[in-house]
Amino acid sequence: MTDRNNKIPFDEDNYTHNITKNNERQLDRRGFMKTLAGAAGVFAVASLPWGAIAAKELMGLADKEYPHQKIVDLKDIAVGDSIGFHFPSDHDSAVLVRLTDNKFVAYQNACTHLRCPVYWVKEEETMICPCHHGKFDVNTGAPTAGPPRRPLPEIIIEVHDHAVYAVRVKRYEA
Amino acid sequence: MKRSYVGVIGLLIILGLNIVFTQLLVHQFFYENYEAVLLYMGINILLFPVAIFIYKKEKNKGGAGKNGK
Repeated sequence: MTDRNNKIPFDEDNYTHNITKNNERQLDRRGFMKTLAGAAGVFAVASLPWGAIAAKELMGLADKEYPHQKIVDLKDIAVGDSIGFHFPSDHDSAVLVRLTDNKFVAYQNACTHLRCPVYWVKEEETMICPCHHGKFDVNTGAPTAGPPRRPLPEIIIEVHDHAVYAVRVKRYEA
Repeated sequence: MKRSYVGVIGLLIILGLNIVFTQLLVHQFFYENYEAVLLYMGINILLFPVAIFIYKKEKNKGGAGKNGK
């Protein structure tokens, strides 16, 4: 009679002897499938903001208009030459290249790898970052060789009154 | 009790595809290929109803449970 409370009435596989919920922590087949379906939902929701920002960029909502800035007079830049300038702020260096009589291209010339300045190399007809030999296509700004994987931001330019003006910075379009 | 693992394997494949496409999405976002980002987002979103479909179809497969149901 005195030992009554010291005895374990039946075999149990837990240490506390007072928790008797059956299979409380067991993950069965159906529960596992439910978790996997929930994970798919999490992935779907998580990819929404990326797509939203991508759509915003594609629709051009992220393009900003800056005050037009005169870069150079037409007579001061020969075909095949380039000239450096700063746009939109004094800290954003950029390069203007005159490809033909009427065709100009301009890019912000911080390399998209580690922001070294990118130069127009006339002899090779390509834009080269000397730090790690990154190369960019002069017509589109797309990276063609070396470590950079993102294109150079293009600067939209206008030619009027015998001079070249920077208008705004354009996002890359493949 | 005979179990059916078709649904489990199918959902695991979906999870694998989710991981792959999410990784691609983040990379293409970084490289500013925004059309590809939209494509991968669409695939990721479409995989969710597919996963729900597989779950609904397979949750009662595999014979009787413990209670003889």
